[in-house]
This record gives sequence, structure tokens and C-alpha cells, in this order.
Amino acid sequence: MTISPAITSPERRPPRLVGLLPWLFAVAVVGYAMVVGGYAATVVSFALIYAVFVTGLNLFMGFAAQVSFGQNAFAAIGGYGSAVLTATYGWSPLPAMVLGIAAALLAAAIVGFPALRLKGHYLAMGTLAIGLITYEITVEWQSVTQGYLGISGIPPFGIGPYEVTSDRGQLIMLALVVAACAFAAARIRRSRFGRALSAVAGSEEAATALGIDVSRYKLMAFLLSAGFAALAGSLFVHVVGYVSPEVFGLHMVIVTFTMLYVGGIGTVAGPLVGALIVSLLPETFRAFKDYQDLAYGAALILLLIYAPRGLASLFSPRGRS
Amino acid sequence: MKQNLIAAVLAASIAAAGAPGASAQELYKIGVSAGLTGYAATVDRAWRDGVELAAAAVNAKGGVMGRKIQVIVEDNRSEPQEAVTVYRKMLSSDKVDVFVSGCVSAGNFAAAGLLLRAKVPMMLCSILPQQAEHLPWAFTTLPPAGFEVDKRLEYLKEKTQVRKIAVLHDPTPYANLQKGVAERNAAKYGLEVVSVDQYKQDDADLSVQISKARSAGAGAILKIGLGGTTLTAAKNIKQLGADMLLLTSLEDLAVFGPVSEVLGDKFFFVASPSQVYEALPEGALKAGIKAFLDPWREKFKDRDPNWASRGWDGVMLTVAAIEKAKSFEGEKVRAAYEELKGFQGTTGVYNFRPDLHQGITENPFVLATIAAGKVKVVQ
Repeated sequence: MTISPAITSPERRPPRLVGLLPWLFAVAVVGYAMVVGGYAATVVSFALIYAVFVTGLNLFMGFAAQVSFGQNAFAAIGGYGSAVLTATYGWSPLPAMVLGIAAALLAAAIVGFPALRLKGHYLAMGTLAIGLITYEITVEWQSVTQGYLGISGIPPFGIGPYEVTSDRGQLIMLALVVAACAFAAARIRRSRFGRALSAVAGSEEAATALGIDVSRYKLMAFLLSAGFAALAGSLFVHVVGYVSPEVFGLHMVIVTFTMLYVGGIGTVAGPLVGALIVSLLPETFRAFKDYQDLAYGAALILLLIYAPRGLASLFSPRGRS
Repeated sequence: MKQNLIAAVLAASIAAAGAPGASAQELYKIGVSAGLTGYAATVDRAWRDGVELAAAAVNAKGGVMGRKIQVIVEDNRSEPQEAVTVYRKMLSSDKVDVFVSGCVSAGNFAAAGLLLRAKVPMMLCSILPQQAEHLPWAFTTLPPAGFEVDKRLEYLKEKTQVRKIAVLHDPTPYANLQKGVAERNAAKYGLEVVSVDQYKQDDADLSVQISKARSAGAGAILKIGLGGTTLTAAKNIKQLGADMLLLTSLEDLAVFGPVSEVLGDKFFFVASPSQVYEALPEGALKAGIKAFLDPWREKFKDRDPNWASRGWDGVMLTVAAIEKAKSFEGEKVRAAYEELKGFQGTTGVYNFRPDLHQGITENPFVLATIAAGKVKVVQ
């Protein structure tokens, strides 16, 4: 289900307080992690990295109503690009990150051009294959990726002599990146491009009749989404300092889909809220030990029963958070 | 009067809180990051049980230097990202003093930097981290990868006419290390590696790799890796009518019964000393294993003792290091690990050095087969 704005006019309404609640929740969680540090900072840092990934996924799945099970492939390209260039070839993190994202965009363009001619289930299966193939490459191309041994010694993110090594420093950096991504998503949504995606989401045939080049807009949404995924992959390897194929496996696909639907697909705040909730819930239930997954699953089911359009939608009658 | 009473209660509370050990004995906390779910579950659940059994045994004797051991176990789901989270939790929330962690290599690698910064040592089930700066704080109970391979090559050379072999391995780091050793060492035993192929742990058919090995003239397959693929390989060898020996790496004994039924006397496996306890001669090793195996069998009956025995060793090595250092401090325990020499464990004798954090230096493994339903040592 997709919640899209009108395609003909960019509405500009004054923000209502209730609509700010998802953002206030996110600020409160990040602020708490900042104060407490340690374990909480680690959990929230991972949540923020996922928020970047899911924001990109939302552009493609929420705004354009397409399906992709293969965005983990682009996270892997971005992550491994950064890891190999910094750990193996001694590059600085920033140019390595840029090149990793560029490589992911190139890969997305190459596979997206033919793949996006598919629709519905066929597109879903095609993109799933992209993710699986990339995973296999990260396992098998051992001379570059070192297979399951992984790549260690990836430096923390930094510019010039300044490295972000502390928990709180990384948290601030990630919070700024997430804020920039959410801002970009909000601007895209209200732009000409965003309205074209809404039209595509509503009906591809109707969008074509309106003069929208559907294939081009789908490809652009796919590329943007891949760029966000690659950024997330790169951030991950610089925050953890290590990468191995499991990081970008099928697990990532499942977790990010859960985040998108729990947070609210098609909303701007949804990816961030979903990433925070889905990352925090298992930790909340950690004391349950063997019943942790049971409690986590039950909580997710309840969330989806009582907030089927996602948590962010609860704070806006028309799902515009 | 009422104010005086409140003041007295407050004073008593403060006094009680300020007297360390008055209300509860101080604990020494061992953290275990283990893949209790995911691909490493079989191995890491056994490792955890061995750690908990050892802690109970130490506590029954009064603990270590007056402190009882508390074991804190967290499931890393066999995922590196989850491992970072649970290591972080145990460091900052549980304040663990040392880690005796399981076999998820990627998880231990990913968290090694955290432990370096926190100055907390770790004794592992897995291979050691690859980053040089992480090595000083990491130790392992795992024997070198070459030991399992050498034992099989030695047997082929001395007891068979086979001179051409094939290597079949999964993509895990430890299996890859073993594959490399097999390729390097085969010539030393007068053997030629004619085929090297990889499989995935969930492969349901290995007949392509086995056919390739047979057509290359291999008389034996060295299979390296865990899981149900050993039985798959055995069935494929039989289905293809291949006249080949199958020599597998260390594995849960429960896996080997059905494999033996398929291949009979053409099947051999590497076994750790605790798996062939009854066949061992009397001596220090047997006594070391007995200390573990008696409580293990009492609690877990005939469950395979291999990985649990190394978990036991991990705790006992830590206790020995604390006693040697006469301190619970991370840096001192780390330094004491490096000084542990001649420590008799259940897997062999551990000899650590500052430049050697993989303590087993003499090959403890034997080659075994199953004859008439019983494990029989052949090499």
C-alpha cells in the first residue's frame, strides 16, 4: 500500500504538532543514546544506518510503488567499495565512499535498465536475484573480498586528519546524515520528480497518458534508492571497522522491509521510525532469552494490526508524516 | 522521634551499601557471545554448555581467588552486526571482565576493536582476528588448521596406496585455511592434490564435485567442513560407484553414524581426544578429559563432547591466568594468558607465548572410523 501526495499540486501546509511526534520520538531516542552511550549508542547507530537504507527503499517502494528485494546488493557494493579501497589500498574514507556509491549507481543503471521493464512479481523476483548474485560474489571473489574471512582494519569515517572514533561522535555524524536523507526525501516528495513518481505509483498507464516517461522515472527512483543503500553500506563498514558477506545477506532484506512497513511506507518519517523501532524492540526483549524472538514477533504483529499503514501514519490522518 | 528513625534507617542503608561484599559476594563475569541461533547454533550451543559447566565446577570449589564466576551468554545469531551489539551490551551494561566466546569468526573479528579499546581479553572458539593490532587481546583454544589435515595425509601415506587426492571444502574461513594447508603439505606426504572444489553448507548434491575428483584420478577425498553435507558426499560416492575413501574433518559424532552405514570401512574422520576418551591411554590427557567428561556425561548423557570440552578449556585457562596474575584486571589477565605453558586441557596441552595466541602446539587429533557401531582409532 502506498500513500502518495496529489500529483498535480505541491501542497504546503503548516506543520501540525501531532505530525512532529515521530520526529520528536526519533530525537528523544537519539538524545537518550547520546547521553547513555555504550550499548544504547551502538544499537541506535545501527538503527540510523538502516534508516538511511530504508529511506532509499521508500523512494522506490513507497513513492514509486515498485518492488525491490535486491537493494542489499547496492549496500554491498558501497560497503565493499569503501572497505577494499581503504583497508587494502589505503584510501581515505571519503573518496572511497564516493567511489563505492558511484560503483553502486553504475551497477544499478546496468541492471535497472532491463530489470525495470519487469512489473509486479517478476520485478520482485528479478531484484531478488540481483541481491543473491551480489551476495555470492562477495563470498566467492576471495582475492578481493576475502570471502567469509571478511575485511578487517577499515578506518573510521573522517575527513583529513579528523576521524570520528567515539560512540557519540559517530552517533552525531549518523544523525546528521539521516537528517539530510530525510530532508532530501521530503524535498523529493514535493518536487516535480516526486509528483511524477506519485503518478507512476497510481497507474503507470495513466502516468504515460499524462506525458510522464515512466521507464525513466522508475530508473531514476531505482538509482536514487541504490545510492542511499550504498551510502548505508559504506557507513556501516566505517562504523564497525569490519565487513563480511553476512552483513548484506537476505537478513538485511527482511529487516529493512519490516522497518519500512512498521514505520510507514510512503511517509517521510516512516523509515526512521521503523528503523528505530525494529532495532530497539529485540533489545527490549533481550532479557526474555529463548523467548526473545517470540516476544519480538508478537510485538510486530500487534503493531501491524493496530497501525497497518505504519506508525508514522498514526500521526497524520492522510499519512503525510 | 520519627525523624530520628528515618535518619537511623538511612544511615544503616548507607553503611550497608558502602560495605563491599557485605550483602553479596563479588562476582567475576565471563561474557559469551555465541551463535545460539543461525548457522553456528550446533557448535556454539555446545560451547556455551561447556563454559557453563566449567563455571559451575569452579564455583563448586569456591570460585577463583574468592570470587564466584558468573556467565553471561548473549545470542549473536551467527551475524557479525549482532555480535557487535551483544559484545557492546556485555561490555557496557553487564560490565564483563573477560570473554570466552564462540565460533562465529566474523562476529569475533567485528568486535575485536571494541575489546581492544575496553582492554578486555577474549578466549575464543574461533580462529584469531586478522588485524595485527587486535591480536594481543585475543587467544584461541582452536588447534592450528593444519593439524586436522596433516593427520589425514599422514594416514593416507602410511596406511594406504592412495597417492592422488581431492579436496572438497566449504567457504568458511577455517575450511579455507585447511584447504590451503592441504595444497601446501600434500607433497610432503608424497601425495598429489588433483582436484580442489568448494561446496555450500546447504548443498543437497555433491555428485558434480565428486565426479570431477574421480575423473581426475583421486583415490580419496579430504572433506573439510561441518554439517549434513558429509552424509550427502557419502551417498553421492556410493551412488556414483566411486572407489574412493572419504576422510572428513572434525564433526559431531552423531553425524558419523549414518555416514558409516553408507560407506563402511571407506569412511574415516578426524576426532578430538574427548571424542575417543575410552580409547586413550592412561595419562595426563585422559585425566584432564575425565575432569570435564564426568560432569558432562552426568548432565548431557552421550551428547558429543568436542566443542563443549574446548569451552571448558576456555574457562579453565582463564581461571589459571587469573591465579597466575593474582589479579582480575584485564591487562594483567591478558599478560598472564601469554605466560600459560604446559596447561593440560581436554584438547591437548596449551603453550601460549606473547607471539603465539593459539595455544595448542602439538597435534592432539586422531583419525578414527566406526566399526560395529563403535568408534575405533586408526591413526
